[in-house]
Amino acid sequence: MQYEALPKPHGASDTPANIPATAEDQEGMPRVSATEQIIVSSPKQNADPRSKHRANGAIILEGRLHPATLAFAIYHSIRRLIIPVIPLFFFGNRIVTAVLLSLLIGASVVRAVVRYLTFSYRIEAGELITRQGILERTERHIPLERVQEIRIEQGVLHRLFGVVDASVETASGQGVEAQLSVLSRREAERLRQAVSNKALVQDAEGRSNLAADASAAERKRLHRLHLRDLVLAGLTSNHLVSAFVLMGTLWALVDDILPRDYYERTARAAHDQASSILAQGTQTALIVAGSGLLLLFLVSLLFSVIGSIVLFYGFTLSQSGENLHRSYGLLTRRVSSLPRRRIQVLEIKEGMLRRLLHLAALRADTAGNAAADQEEKKEGRDVLLPIVPRRELDALLPVIFTDLEPGPIVWTRVSKLAVVRDTIQGGLVCMIATGGMYWYNHDLFGLWPLILLPLVCGVSVLRYYNLGYMFRERYLYTRRGWLSRSTHIVPVRNAQTVTLRQSPVSRRLGLATLIVDTAGQSYTGGGPMISNLPLEEAQSLASTLAHRAAAMHYQW
Amino acid sequence: MTEDTQQYTEPTGGSQTRFEAVERPGQQLDQRVASTTPQHNAVPLQSASAQSEFCALDPRVIKLWRVTNLIGWGVILIVSLAGATIFALRNPEVMPWIFFTWPALFGLCGWLIYWRPRRLYRSWGYRVDDRVLETRSGLLFQVTRLLPLARVQHVDLQRGPLERTFGLSSLILHTAGTHEATTIIPGLEAGEAVRLRDHLVAVGGDDAV
Repeated sequence: MQYEALPKPHGASDTPANIPATAEDQEGMPRVSATEQIIVSSPKQNADPRSKHRANGAIILEGRLHPATLAFAIYHSIRRLIIPVIPLFFFGNRIVTAVLLSLLIGASVVRAVVRYLTFSYRIEAGELITRQGILERTERHIPLERVQEIRIEQGVLHRLFGVVDASVETASGQGVEAQLSVLSRREAERLRQAVSNKALVQDAEGRSNLAADASAAERKRLHRLHLRDLVLAGLTSNHLVSAFVLMGTLWALVDDILPRDYYERTARAAHDQASSILAQGTQTALIVAGSGLLLLFLVSLLFSVIGSIVLFYGFTLSQSGENLHRSYGLLTRRVSSLPRRRIQVLEIKEGMLRRLLHLAALRADTAGNAAADQEEKKEGRDVLLPIVPRRELDALLPVIFTDLEPGPIVWTRVSKLAVVRDTIQGGLVCMIATGGMYWYNHDLFGLWPLILLPLVCGVSVLRYYNLGYMFRERYLYTRRGWLSRSTHIVPVRNAQTVTLRQSPVSRRLGLATLIVDTAGQSYTGGGPMISNLPLEEAQSLASTLAHRAAAMHYQW
Repeated sequence: MTEDTQQYTEPTGGSQTRFEAVERPGQQLDQRVASTTPQHNAVPLQSASAQSEFCALDPRVIKLWRVTNLIGWGVILIVSLAGATIFALRNPEVMPWIFFTWPALFGLCGWLIYWRPRRLYRSWGYRVDDRVLETRSGLLFQVTRLLPLARVQHVDLQRGPLERTFGLSSLILHTAGTHEATTIIPGLEAGEAVRLRDHLVAVGGDDAV
C-alpha cells in the first residue's frame, strides 16, 4: 500500500541544482522529496482531499481538476480575444466592445465552471476513465496498455498556482486522448505513476494499490544536459533558420508600429549611404556588406543559443522500469513519460558541425504522434536527447532498445552508381536552371548554373559515402545524408510495410530505393530509407524484412 | 503508383458503396475460411513460395480504366481544346498553331485514355504467400510494396458503380503505418476479391493488434 514517491517530474528532487527554486514553487503545492512516502491508501494523507482511494474497490485513483482551472479559462479567453478586441476598442464603440468582451469572457467562465464541476477522472480496472459534461455526458475509457505517452507541462503561470497540464496520448493518431488541465502537481504526479506502473496495478488482487516494487520505482538517470551542452546545441543546431524566422516575426511586429513613410525614408537613407560607400571604392562596400552579414549571423547564433537554453534547460533523460522520462524547460517545464517499447523508430541526427564535434541528437517516434505538427517540434517533443556525445549515445541505445544486438555497426555500402544517379538528378536541375536563365537573358552570364555541375558531382560522392545500411536479425540500421546525416534504427518487428521505388533514372541504372514504413514517423524525418540499392539486393532485403516482420509480434 | 490508383478509383468514389459482406456477417472467422477454402483453392493464390509469379488483375480493368480516364481526361481535353480555340479566335496570329495544338492534345489524351490503361494493367501484379502480400505497379515510377499480413489493421472492399458494371472490386488494405499506410489492389474480379480478402484476414488475423 505504500510506495516510494518517484522523484518529482520536474526534476526538483533529484536535480536540485538544476531547477531554479522559484518562489512560485514554494507557494504552490509542497514539493515531494524523493524519500517522502505517500500513503495512498489513507485519504487524509493526501494533499487533495477530493482524491480518495478505496482499498477494497478496483478504483486505484480518483480525482478532479484543480480550482485554478477557472483562472486559466479566463486567462486563455482573454489571450484569445485580445488581438481582435484592440482595434474594436480604439475604433469602435467602446461600450459595445466592453459588453461583448464581458459576454464572451463570461461564456468561457461558465464553460470552465461547468467543466470544473463535472470533470472527473479515475483509474479503474486497468483503464483511465474521464467523465465530463452536464447535458451531453462524455465518458472516455482509455485502456492503460494503450497509453503511449503521458506528458506534464507547467508554464510560468502554472507555477504561480502550483498546477500542471497533463495530457495522455494513445496511438489513435489524433494526438492527445485525454487533456487534464489543470491538475495540482501532486495529483498529476500520482496519475503519471499510476499510468506508468499499470502492470503493477493490474497485478493487485482484491486490494489494488500502487505498491510498486523497488525495481520499478528506482529511477536511473541516463543523461543530463548541462548549460555548456545547451550552448553547444544552440551553436551547432540548424536553428539558424528558425532564428531568421523569429527575427522575421519580430520585424512584422515592429512593422505594425512603425509609421508608414518609415520605409521610404530608410530606403532613401540606405541608398544615400550605399552610394557614398560605393563612392569610396568596392573594397569598402564589400567590407560593409560582409560585416553586416557577420552581424546577422552572430545575432541568429545568439537567438539559437537562447532558444536552446530556454527550451531544454535542465534536460534530464531518466529511466524507471519500462518507462523513459524526459524533463526539461526553463520557463515552461515539460515532463514526458513514455514506455520504451512504444518507440517505433529512432533517429540519430548529426549535422555537419556536430559530426566534427562527435555530437548527435536523438529523436524517437511513437505510434501516437502520427498527427504531429510543427508546433510540437517547437515544444521539443520530437527529441529524446537534443544533444549527446556520440560515444555516450552508443551506450544509451541498448537501454532504449533492450534487445538490440551488440557489436559495432558495419555499414554495407550501396551501389557506386549512386553517384551517377545523384549527379544526373542534380545535373538535370542545373540544366533546367540554365535553360531558364538563358531564355530569360540571352547572355553568357545566363549559363552560370553550369558551374554548379562539378559541385553537384562532388556532393554526390560525399552523399554516397554517407549512405549505408546494416541488417541484423532484429534491427535494421540505415544511414543517409551528408549535410545533415541521419541514422535510423528500426526494430524489424515495427515494420508496417516495405516499399521499393524505382524512378526512370534508377531503373535504367538497375537501382531501387527501399523504404520502411512504421507507425509514427513525424519526428524522425520520414523514417528509414535506403536509396541506390542494386535492384536484386533491394528485392531480397525487402522480402527478408517483410517476412521476418510478419513472423514477429508487433507491439504498439 | 498511388496517383495512378487514386486516379482510377476516384471517379467511382463519389458514390462509394461499401461492399456488403457476401457471407453472413455473423459467421466466425474460422468457419468462413473453411467455407471458402474449396473455392479459394480454385484461385491461384500462391502459398509458401516467395518465388511464385505475380497474379495479374482482371483484364476487364483495362476497360474500366478507359472509361474512368475518358471521364476524367475527356473533360480536361474538351476544356483545353475549347480554351485553345477561343484563344486562337481572339488572337488570329496564333491561328496556325492551333493545327499543331489540336492533334497534340488529341494524341496525348488518346494515349492516356486508350493505351495507358493497357500498359498500366501489364505493370500491375500481386502475389500472396503465407505471410506477405506483395504488389507491384507503375509505369514511369515503379513501386513494389511488401505488406506483412500480420500488420494489416483492416481491409476495405470497394465497389463503385462503374466497378460494379464491370463486375470488379478493389481491395484496400490499411496498416498502422504513416505515409505508406494504405495499399490498394484495384481491378479484382468481384468473387476473387472476396476470397482474397478472406484469405488475407484469416492469415493476418491472429496477430493484428
